[in-house]
Order: sequence, then C-alpha cells, then structure tokens
Amino acid sequence: MASCPHCGAELETPLGCGACLSPLEVETSVDPFVLFGLTPSFSIEGEELRTRHLKYSRWIHPDYFAADPELRALAEINTGLLNGALESLEEPLRRADHLLKVQGGPSENEVKDMPQAFLMEVLEWSEILDEARAAEAGTPPREAAFKLKPSLDEERTARIQTITGLLEPLPNSGSEALTTARRELNAVRYLDRALRELESLRLAEAEAR
Amino acid sequence: MGYIELNVLNNQSSLAMGIDLGTTNSLAAVWRDGRPVILHPEGKSGSVPSVVHFPADGSQPKVGREGRDHAAAAPERTLFSVKRLMGRPAADVQGELARIPFPTSEGDDGVLRLNIDGREFTPQELSALILNRVHDHGCRALNDEKPDRVVITVPAYFDDAQRQATRDAARFAGLDVLRIVNEPTAACLAYGLDQEKSGNVVVYDLGGGTFDVSVLSIADGVFKVLSTAGDTHLGGDDFDDALVGLIVEGLAGELSEEELKDPGFLTAARLSAERCKHALSKDPQAELHMVLAARGVTFHRTVTRAEFEALIEPLIERTIDSCRRALSDAGLAPDEVNEVVMVGGSTRVPAVNAAVESFFGRIPHTELNPDEVVALGAAVQAHILIGGSRDMLLLDVIPLSLGLETVGGAVSKLVMRNSTIPCSVTEGFTTYADNQTGIDFHVVQGEREMVSDCRTLAKFQLKGIPPMPAGMARVAVRFHVDADGLLTVSAREESTGASTRVEVEPMSGLSDEEVERMLLSSVEHAEEDFAVRRAADLITEIGTMRTATERSLDGVREHLDRETLEDIEEALKAAGEAPSADAERLQALRDELERATLPLAALLMDDVAKAALSGKRLEDV
Repeated sequence: MASCPHCGAELETPLGCGACLSPLEVETSVDPFVLFGLTPSFSIEGEELRTRHLKYSRWIHPDYFAADPELRALAEINTGLLNGALESLEEPLRRADHLLKVQGGPSENEVKDMPQAFLMEVLEWSEILDEARAAEAGTPPREAAFKLKPSLDEERTARIQTITGLLEPLPNSGSEALTTARRELNAVRYLDRALRELESLRLAEAEAR
Repeated sequence: MGYIELNVLNNQSSLAMGIDLGTTNSLAAVWRDGRPVILHPEGKSGSVPSVVHFPADGSQPKVGREGRDHAAAAPERTLFSVKRLMGRPAADVQGELARIPFPTSEGDDGVLRLNIDGREFTPQELSALILNRVHDHGCRALNDEKPDRVVITVPAYFDDAQRQATRDAARFAGLDVLRIVNEPTAACLAYGLDQEKSGNVVVYDLGGGTFDVSVLSIADGVFKVLSTAGDTHLGGDDFDDALVGLIVEGLAGELSEEELKDPGFLTAARLSAERCKHALSKDPQAELHMVLAARGVTFHRTVTRAEFEALIEPLIERTIDSCRRALSDAGLAPDEVNEVVMVGGSTRVPAVNAAVESFFGRIPHTELNPDEVVALGAAVQAHILIGGSRDMLLLDVIPLSLGLETVGGAVSKLVMRNSTIPCSVTEGFTTYADNQTGIDFHVVQGEREMVSDCRTLAKFQLKGIPPMPAGMARVAVRFHVDADGLLTVSAREESTGASTRVEVEPMSGLSDEEVERMLLSSVEHAEEDFAVRRAADLITEIGTMRTATERSLDGVREHLDRETLEDIEEALKAAGEAPSADAERLQALRDELERATLPLAALLMDDVAKAALSGKRLEDV
C-alpha cells in the first residue's frame, strides 16, 4: 500500500490522503476499483461503495480547497474521477460491463444475443409492453403490463446471481465465461429497459389522473 | 455604467456573499457570528425586486425597488423576469418575448438581444445590473465592506447554457463567483443547519418563474442530492397570468385585440393580478382591480379563492408530476420521505401547500421565510467555500444527461442525469472509414433518445488522426462536469504515439472573447453614459442660471457699467446657443456665464439670485 508523499500516512485511495486531508496527483486512467481502494470484484456491496464515496468526498472535495487554485483544480479532477468511478460501479449492470471490458471480454456489439430460454419470455413480455404503450391510461392492457413487474424483478435477481457466479472469481481473458456473462448482461439490459418503461408508464398513469 | 466599478476595487473582505438571483426578487446573505443572516440596510427590506426600468430621458437605468416604482407609470419601459430569458435562444422563449416591451433579436451566437434606445443588451448584461444592485444593497448593510466573492444560486433544473449565462452575468457585474449552487439544495442547507435533520428530505421550490424539486439524503453533515426535477418555465408569474386572463377576458369589449396584447398593458395587468393573488393567500376572496387612466377604462371584479384555485390547479398538478418523477429517480416512495421543505414565495398559496401535503402525506415545513431560505443557504455554502467549515459538505447533481451524437442521430449518453458532480467520464470511440483523419463530435444535453430532441451544447472536430484502417484508431472522449454543473469536453487519439487534444467549451451562449468584448464595450458605454448625463445636468444648470440672470438684470441694468453689461449679454447669448451633447463645451459656457455675472451677483443683495448665479441650483437655496 502506497503512502502519502506529504505526511507519510498509509493511503486508502490514490485520490488523496485522509490523514493530512490533501488531494494527490493520480493518473486519469486508474481503474475505478483502485480509486475506491478495492480489489476488482463483481460482488461488491453498493452500500460499501457509497460509504467510501462519502468518506473520500470529505477528504478531497473541491469545496474545501477554494482558496488555493492549484489544490482546487486537483481536488476538482480527483472528485470528478471519484464520482465517475461511483457511476461505473454502483449499478450491477454497469459494474459487470466494466469488468468485462477490463478482462478483455466481448463488447456489447460483439455478442448481441441473449440466452435462448430467455428469448421466449422476451417475446411475450415485449408484446404485452407494446400493447400497453399503445393503450390509454387505466385500460386492461396497461393493467396487464403492471402485473409483469414482479416477474421482471425476480428474473433480474436471478440473472444477476448467474452473472455473479460467472464473474466470481474473475475469469481470465479469453475465457468462455466472459462471453456467457455478456449474454446474461444483455438479458439484464433488456430487463432494465422494460422496467424503466413500466416506471414511465406508471408515472404517465399517475399524471393522467 | 455603475456595474464596472467593482473591477477597480481591490478589497480584501474576509466575507463571501450568498446571492439568490430570483425571477421576481433577489436577495443577499452572509455568514456572521456562526449563522447565515440576510443583508438588509438599516430599516429596509433585504429583498431587491429583479426589475430594470429604462427612463424615457435616456438616463441611467433604475434597478430594484426604484425600477419597480416606475413600472406602474411606465410599464412600456420596464423589464421583469429577465431570468426567464437567460441562456435561451429566441425560439424557446416566444411566450416570454410577447411581454418584453422592447424590440428583440438573436445574435449569431444564438444569444438574445434586447434593443433599448438604440443599444443592445443581452439578458446576461441585464442580470448583471440586478446583481450589482443586490450586491450594493448587501454591502450597505455591511458598513460598506465589499465582499466581491459570491455564491449565486440557480434553479436546479437550469441547463448548461443557463448556468453559463448566469456565470457571465456575474462577470459583467465584476463579481468573483465561487460557485453556482442549485436553489433547492441551498435551501436544504439552510434548513438542515437549523434543525440538524437527517434522512430523506424533499425540497419543493416554487418561485416566481421556475419550479424545482430536489430529493436529498442527509447524514453526518453530508447533504447529498439524489435526484432533481422541475420546470424552468413554471412559477408564480404563471399564477398571475391566470388572473391576467380574467382581465383580458373582461376588457375584450372595450379594448382592441392589439391593445390587449400591448406589453405595457400586460405589465400593468400583471401588477394588478399579483396584488389580487397575494390577497387571496390570506382572504377567501379579493378584488381584481385595474385602471387604465389613459384609455379611461376601469376593470373591477371580485375573485374567490376557489375560483383562483380552479384556474391554477393544472399548474400545481404539473409540479406534483415533477415530484413523482424526482422520487422515482431517487428510488423512493412518498412514505420514505422524512421531511418536506417549502421554498419560494409561491408556496404561500394555500392550494400549493395542500397539494404538497396530500401527495407526501405529511405537513411540509414552512418555519423559515420561503423568500429568504435560498439566500441563507447560499451564504452557508459561501462560508464553506472560503474555508470557514469542514463540518458540512454539499454533493449536488447534474439535472440533465449529457451525451454525444452517434450513428443515425441517436444519443449516446456519457453522463446520466442525477450524477454527482464534479464528474469525469471517459468513453472510447473509433474511426468508421479507412484512413479517416478526423472525427466530428456533437455534444448534446437532454433525456431524449434522438439528437434533434436534445439541446446542442457544442460541435467540434478532432483532427490529426494518423491514417490507418477503419476501427483501428482509439479516441478517448472525456466529459468533465465541474462543481458548477458546467461541462468541458476533450478528445484524444491514443492508438499511436502521437496524440491530439482539443478542449471545447459549450458553444451555446457567449464565448469568452464575446464576454471580454462586451465587458470592454460596457466600460466604453459607461464613459459615454456618464458624458451624456453630465451634459444633461449642465444644460439644466445653464438654463437656471440664464433665467435668474435675465430676471435680475432688468432691475439693475442701469447700475452696471457698459463693459460688464456687454460681457454678461455675450455670455447669455452664447449659453442660449449651447450645444446639446458636448459636455466639455457646456462646462466652458457655464463657467463663462458664471464669470461674466460675478459683478452682477456682487451688486445684487438678493440671496436667491446670488446663489443661482454662483452656480447653485435654485432649489438648493
């Protein structure tokens, strides 16, 4: 573990020192997990990330360095990196996407298909969603779509579990597990889009009242 | 003009001011003795109406309360709600422009211009006048200590261009902006401070012209914004307009369609509507009353609160829709909200309070004055920023997503809305043709999927990519949103040793060069304006002197020697032909008249005449 060039204290994050409360020079290409002082892993708790995010923010936020233009600029860059890192790791979908990229797995464009068994369900769900979209607020097609939510949620949890199994421990570059994980990820992406759509239908429903 | 004066002041104030630059009223506060306080000069209100009046004689614009005092008599020369025009292209604000009593145009830079007596003003410059007025007003309460470091608040839902415009306004005003802070977030800071809240807090901020709702989580002094939603064109002004509709309806028979659309008429009608609205917040019914003396027309009608509430219900519903969206984005249900805080003068309308209470199922907080709480919060943030406290931290978000145009006009989002700022995101792109040496980038802001539905922030080209097969180049595009919510984009080609880099500032609005040029020209104009004013003063003074001389000369003519008499008559004649604009020449004529009339003055024992002849104004005697 590296130590602070100013006070010698052991560093928890390369972004700054918690002992002397100063932001430190850091490469902009450093991995988000490293910025959070963590070993890359899919099964990290969102709560752990948020706790660390607040802690480090209190060390290096530009608000605390407004008087010194140089330190302020550094604090601004580092806090930008910290917040950007939170964005890429907080959501399981984005976190998995990031790990696949880092491990040299196939991109979204290279593997576009979804698990076979899942496709049948997708066809059915899409049909219900299409009908709901075309229907008026408060009509049966809308009701039918809202009833989908529990099964979509359940399905999502199951897929995330599968991905956890595939990415834990992290497979090496070229491993078939990375391709399988990408396929599962495509399924989660579909589920998220469907859930978002349900949410906006729910909002529209409420607004229509 | 007055607003360049601060540039030359080299003050070392240890204070930093928080300024709430509102649509209808503006206000300043500072941190003093361990808490934020509103700045108001002895015996006066701290609130400065965001109004600019341009006197018909071409003299200095009257800003604030003074401007508002002139509004009723001369609405056709008075500007309200300039904030609604900030950072918006003309096409987006057609409705607002209908009530602007001056001709408008759009510059090549897409920035609106108001043509006032032959001079062009951007909304930024007009806001600068208001900022200066608020700042001066605040400084008077500080015994003329002049903190030129300020925190300025903006609606949370302001986009990049609107924030940039606010920053430019502050530059025109000669102020050093420490931070642009979102209004609801500032309000939450002020409330959290007073009540040591923790948990999930919703801030419902309905001001004169904008509506914001922000959801925050507070823990251990960290105020973290989870989501924000709103409408930059919805506020108390719209409530007034609902009542203006009643006036227009009622006068339809008496006034022509043209007269009913006249900006001057509409401003007068809005002032009446506003009075009625205020009364309806207290009483079950109120009078809507308007006199158009020039046309001999009077409008009078009683409006009940129920009637008013029916008129504004759709507007209130829109704010509740935004609340629902903000909660959805924060991933919370209404019953997971621990506190609701009301901000902005329009939350005094009982129907607004009732709607919020019923949606969240709890009584909203109204302990702090809803007009003051944003400025107080801005002062807290200013205090943090000048190193006064590490106990608190504000983590704000960007209200609208940022992205790049991809194939087929679709948007690829790089920074999602409600991301904590400052935020840096890097995304990889590549070439799509062999030996392609440049890539065009189109930066947009908005939630929609297609570029055409979003707001363009910048377009730029990355050049100098070495020739190579398609898909081989590795271009890293980096978006950095700073703590003010402003975006900078950079792109770099890094597949070969050679790398290129471009920095782009958002192009909507005024460029840095333009701001510089306008700052310069405002300095030039300041001199010009001063000369015009001085000339006008001299003409008045010479007139007074001539009248007094001619009047007294008749009685004592025979007592003066011929030389003196000729001298006086010559000076009078020259003064009578005085040019209208040349201040130097006027000064010389005035001095000459004074010199020539000295013997006359000596002769006259009449104190009044003496005083007038020695250059004092008669009314001063």
